[in-house]
This record gives sequence, C-alpha cells and structure tokens, in this order.
Amino acid sequence: MAYRVLIVDDSPAMRSFVRRVITLSGFELSTCLEAGNGQEALDLLEREWVDAILTDINMPGLDGEEFLRRLSVDELLRSIPAIVISTDATQNRIERLMSLGARGYITKPFLPEALRSALEATLGVPCA
Amino acid sequence: MPDTAVQLTLQQSVEDVLEKMFFLQCVSDPEDATSGPEIVAHLTFEGRPSGSLTLSITARAARNVAADFLGAEPSDLSHQQVADVVCELANMICGSALSRIESSTTFRLAAPQIVHPAHGISDREVSGSESHPADSAGGRISVSIQTETSAWSAAARYAF
Repeated sequence: MAYRVLIVDDSPAMRSFVRRVITLSGFELSTCLEAGNGQEALDLLEREWVDAILTDINMPGLDGEEFLRRLSVDELLRSIPAIVISTDATQNRIERLMSLGARGYITKPFLPEALRSALEATLGVPCA
Repeated sequence: MPDTAVQLTLQQSVEDVLEKMFFLQCVSDPEDATSGPEIVAHLTFEGRPSGSLTLSITARAARNVAADFLGAEPSDLSHQQVADVVCELANMICGSALSRIESSTTFRLAAPQIVHPAHGISDREVSGSESHPADSAGGRISVSIQTETSAWSAAARYAF
C-alpha cells in the first residue's frame, strides 16, 4: 500500500528535503502534497485527503501549534496522524504538542531512517 | 554557562546538522586557509535569554551543500534556492544549539534572513576559540551565537 503525505513547512528547501528523504528511505509514497503554513494546509485538506501530515512549528501565519489545535477540533481531520518536525527539542514544547494531538515528534537534525520509522509507526505499517 | 561549554555545544550542533542533514563531516586544521565571497544568514531568537545567531559560509560551499540537500546539480540551482538552504542550515544549527544549552526553556526562532557579508563573522571573533580556520575542498563555515544579556556567547569556524 502506498500513502499520501502532506508536508507543511514555510521553507521550500526543507519541504524539498523531506520529500526527497521520504522517497529515498523506501517508504511507500504515492503522493506528496505541500503547504507553506497551517492555513494553506487546512485549505488543501478541504479538497484533498492524506494519510499522514508532517508539520513544522515555526511558520508565518497559522503556525504548527495552532494548526494542530485546528486539526484536533475537526471531526474528520483529527483522524489524520500528524508528526511534528522541528529544531525545538525542549521537553515542555514536545509535551505540549503531543497533548494537542501530535502522534510523533522528530527533532531536526534527523536521520532519514528516523523519518521513515516515525511514519511507519504512526501509520501502523508492519516492519519489513 | 561558560563560553567554552557553549563553544563545545555549538561545535556539536554544527557537526550534527552537517552529518545528518547534509551528509558532510567537519575536518580540522587544513593548512590552506583561503577565503572568498561569503553568504551570511542571521536570525534572532526569543527566550531566556534572547539573542541571535549568525552563520557565514563560503559561496562555493553554500552552492555545494544546497545541491546535496536538494538532490540537485550545483549549477542547476538558483541564488534563491541556495539562500533558502543556507537559511535552513542556520535555523537547524540555532535550534539544535539552544536545545542543548537550555533544554528546559522554550525559544521562539525568527525566520533567518540573508544579510550583507559585511555583517558576517570577523576573524577576531573566532580567534582564541577552538576554531578551525580553513577552507577545504568542501568549504568553510563560521557560526556565532550571542545573547543580549551576555549570559553566554561563542563563535567558531569549521571546515568540511
């Protein structure tokens, strides 16, 4: 089974890197959608369904924290697992975002395997 | 926090980011220290304490690391793409260093900006530190972190 993933990050370079790493890691990816902040992601999710979301925190406009909050109160969207990718490794930040519904938290810098593992664990993909 | 400890933390962050995200390894003390045009990124952060980080990287090296990061040929990249990667590099090093220095404090990082090379890091700033002024086949990178309260600060230079 191949999955549809949405990458939310204000840095085009980071979105490109994450997409490339997912592909190179061997993760079964069918479609990779991108958004520059939380609002763009919500607009996109009105017309597209994805299996998982990878989101940054610090973004202009609707940031990652508010984006997770909006997802958590939407009956349909809250079922989509969201994984945070951030440079912020402070414990209180991680706990706060997990309490908002994040299913995983990856700290930058990260190894490609960490991204694949987080996606597969979140999606319940059986180990190869 | 003593400056030497901050310096060590900064070094660990630079090495960690370059190795994991750019698949590059720092080298130390190459003899032929050369300079060239540099790209400088600057970002501020708010927290306890607040401050800023400045990153300078030789232009040739910036194009090479951007190509590695994006999986493209160096000659195919636009100036904007190279600038985006340099900003992301500064962002990751800053976040990594802050998380190591003050693990219980939440910092808010502003978006990195490319600034004029005149705002780069001088040799004076990195002198006396455990820096490695050099320019290898890969390039040279200098990083400086400063806080407004002088709680801690450090500057260092690396080759890769």
